Amino acid sequence: MSQLYGLAIFTVSLAALIWFTLSSDNRLKGVSTFLLVMAVISAPTLNQEWARMTSELIDDEGNSHNGLPDIWLGKQVVCVDFPVGAAHSDYADGRHYIDYDGTDFMTEMEFNGTGACVGGLSGYEDGLGMMLNATDIAEGDLEVVYSTSQYGVMIETIGGVDPCDYHTCSSTQGAYWSLYHNNAWAMVGIGDLVLDEDSVLEWKIETW
Amino acid sequence: MLGAHAIDIGPVGMLAINIALLSLVGWALLRAERGLPDGREWTLLAMLAIFGIFGRVLLEPLPNIQPVTVLVLVVGMQMGAKRAIALATVIALGSNLIMGHGIWTLYQALGWSLVGCLGAYAAPHLTSMPRIAGIAALSGVLFDWVISLSILHTLGSGMLPAYILAGIPYDMLHALGNLFFAAWLASPLVEMMERHQTVHLEATENVPVTA
Repeated sequence: MSQLYGLAIFTVSLAALIWFTLSSDNRLKGVSTFLLVMAVISAPTLNQEWARMTSELIDDEGNSHNGLPDIWLGKQVVCVDFPVGAAHSDYADGRHYIDYDGTDFMTEMEFNGTGACVGGLSGYEDGLGMMLNATDIAEGDLEVVYSTSQYGVMIETIGGVDPCDYHTCSSTQGAYWSLYHNNAWAMVGIGDLVLDEDSVLEWKIETW
Repeated sequence: MLGAHAIDIGPVGMLAINIALLSLVGWALLRAERGLPDGREWTLLAMLAIFGIFGRVLLEPLPNIQPVTVLVLVVGMQMGAKRAIALATVIALGSNLIMGHGIWTLYQALGWSLVGCLGAYAAPHLTSMPRIAGIAALSGVLFDWVISLSILHTLGSGMLPAYILAGIPYDMLHALGNLFFAAWLASPLVEMMERHQTVHLEATENVPVTA
């Protein structure tokens, strides 16, 4: 958004300069030409920002993108839900929606919990690759710590949250980051997960 | 739509070629108009229709920027609503024979006809260039909202406000495009039409447009 404000200030300033520089017969021609050129050049950015500002959450239970912003329809998304009492300091006021370029454009205060979704992604085929890139987009706030064993990739913490800090972990019970793919519990780990072009990954803490 | 065959020109190159072509068409029509005897109203309208069709087709790469809305507005202003409706319908259908014809053609014809009627209705007040430019910008938004009604055939009316809201950047581009075309074309168009007008509208009384 700050880029847009800068662009608007630049455009208005230069338009005013053109207006006062040209003769009265040519003012409208000069200013309208300048404004049109600026609008055409900045049209993709304006459209994108406007789409974010006017985005609404999808309300369709049968859709894997249910509850996500409509501008992410057909795109890949990674969501992390933090447990009650373990809200990440940057996402403590609801569920944050972060676009592919790192813009945190919407916060859902009514969401039952706290968390963050990184979306608008495309072209990823493996789960771990998308997960690690999504956490990079969130600028480290969703940093993933994982280990690799003979069973595959095991997620230890996301955004610094360790499930065992909030649940009792022993030899008979425990807690872990559980992976859901398109609203269904993933049958394979993140390291083996093959994605669809509109996959939605969701991480939440579950106990055993 | 208009390809460059085996040469990779790119969208900006194609746009430059299209603008050059449109300038050529405009220049040729302007020269041809200068050679016409006065009072050839329908010949002028036919020439404007050709310019409108080419303008819409050739400027297709630019989002929602074309000269048709301003053409129809000025014709409505100078020649009256009936001629503006005829021009609007011919341009909508003619350009869509190239760009794709469908139910939207009806809405485009309706939208531009309304702009023409607005021009005819508001003509007594459109006595200066800033006023014409202002109403041209507003006409862009009016036209877009009429076109938006076409979604009622596929989506419910509940979606209409969201659809209109989502289209505001495109409305803005149309408005700015109209401002540009009005600034550059309105005065020459008014001058041309005054030369060829056969029916002098009481409402307009051929009020000269001043900058």
